[in-house]
Amino acid sequence: MRIVASILTLLSCLSFVGCDQKLSTLAGPTPSLEPTFSSVQSQIFETTDTAGRQACINCHTNVGRNPSAGLNLTHAVAYDQIVNVPSSRKPGAIRVIPGDPENSYLVHKLEGRAGIVGARMPSGGPPYLTDGQILILKRWIALGAPRN
Amino acid sequence: MTRSFTLRLSLALLTAFLSVPEALAQQSDDDAALKLAEPDFTLIALPTALRLPKFGSAFRVTHRFRRALGSGDFGDLAADLFGIDSGAQIGLEYRFGIIPNGQIGIHRTSDRTTEFFAQYGVLRQGGWSPLEVIALGSIEGPDNFKDAKSPALGAIVSRRVGDVAAFYLEPIWVNNSNPLPKEVVDHNDTFMVGVGLRLRIRPTVYLVGEVSPRVSGYKQGVTHGAFAIEKRAGGHQFQLNFSNSFGTTLGQITRGPDGNNWYMGFNISRKFF
Repeated sequence: MRIVASILTLLSCLSFVGCDQKLSTLAGPTPSLEPTFSSVQSQIFETTDTAGRQACINCHTNVGRNPSAGLNLTHAVAYDQIVNVPSSRKPGAIRVIPGDPENSYLVHKLEGRAGIVGARMPSGGPPYLTDGQILILKRWIALGAPRN
Repeated sequence: MTRSFTLRLSLALLTAFLSVPEALAQQSDDDAALKLAEPDFTLIALPTALRLPKFGSAFRVTHRFRRALGSGDFGDLAADLFGIDSGAQIGLEYRFGIIPNGQIGIHRTSDRTTEFFAQYGVLRQGGWSPLEVIALGSIEGPDNFKDAKSPALGAIVSRRVGDVAAFYLEPIWVNNSNPLPKEVVDHNDTFMVGVGLRLRIRPTVYLVGEVSPRVSGYKQGVTHGAFAIEKRAGGHQFQLNFSNSFGTTLGQITRGPDGNNWYMGFNISRKFF
């Protein structure tokens, strides 16, 4: 009885041990990417990843040029440029709709969905964002796109 | 498998489960003795309440052919001998009775999932108890137990009806049932209630059925369901089954199949006691 009780106790303990799949396996070429704005900003918008996917701020910046499509994704202004902000190219589309990744135009552009205006992002791809990177970005939006 | 069908089948089995006359209950507590209504340690994928005598053991092979029975026309299916020519997901299982009423085991499937499990008989049917109650726990991990682990805790509540039938209700909680990391999902565990029946239609022939509706948590795909016909021959149990998934571990069952395809398969088990 004591042996089985011990086994069941052990199994119970194991159920609370961190044995989940690691987020880094999903994030692929940006292993520290998390579903937070600061992480998306630093890992997606501002960093060219190890797979060669270009940083967004290569074009979407006001440093030495006009931001492509009027979208500036540099650190200080990126959040206010995308969350609840209409697209400058596609009438009626909102770049990021908090809680609704499927209807957020930023996701449409990154996934290259039918109906987008212009090319799939990032420009010059492939490589584009991986499915895992997009899933993490969508999770941030699904969580309400907080400024975290 | 549709939700309404699952619900109706579950309610029918539950009604039968609760309405069995007490007088028909088996009362043998010799775990080495053959229980005609419950000859094996599993239904099709779900575990049963059968106890393993101390130092007894049992071995099982599970085989799920990967060709969907609904794929192509009948000629294609027959040409493929109903899926036998296709690849399969195979499982090997060994269980051992470590103490009276307690058993441990290992189940490995050919997708490199390894499951360790333990069962302990808490309540025995007979006398004042109309039910058999077994506590169960397991933990499984893909890639030879090197990747993310899915522990499970639950109970098997069963009722044997003479030598004719056995009914099962199996409330089981599976943690980390979602294959995605918890940071990107709403639900990372699942509570399911397995429902099953084994019916002895001939002295050594049985019909078996099971469904595993997910009550809460992660519910990807459709509900696992399966039915089978099996033959007992001495210490062997030969089962031809049809299921809508390849799952034979609790985590695999909980995740559910993606589509509503059905597959042929078989189980062969052997007792060593």
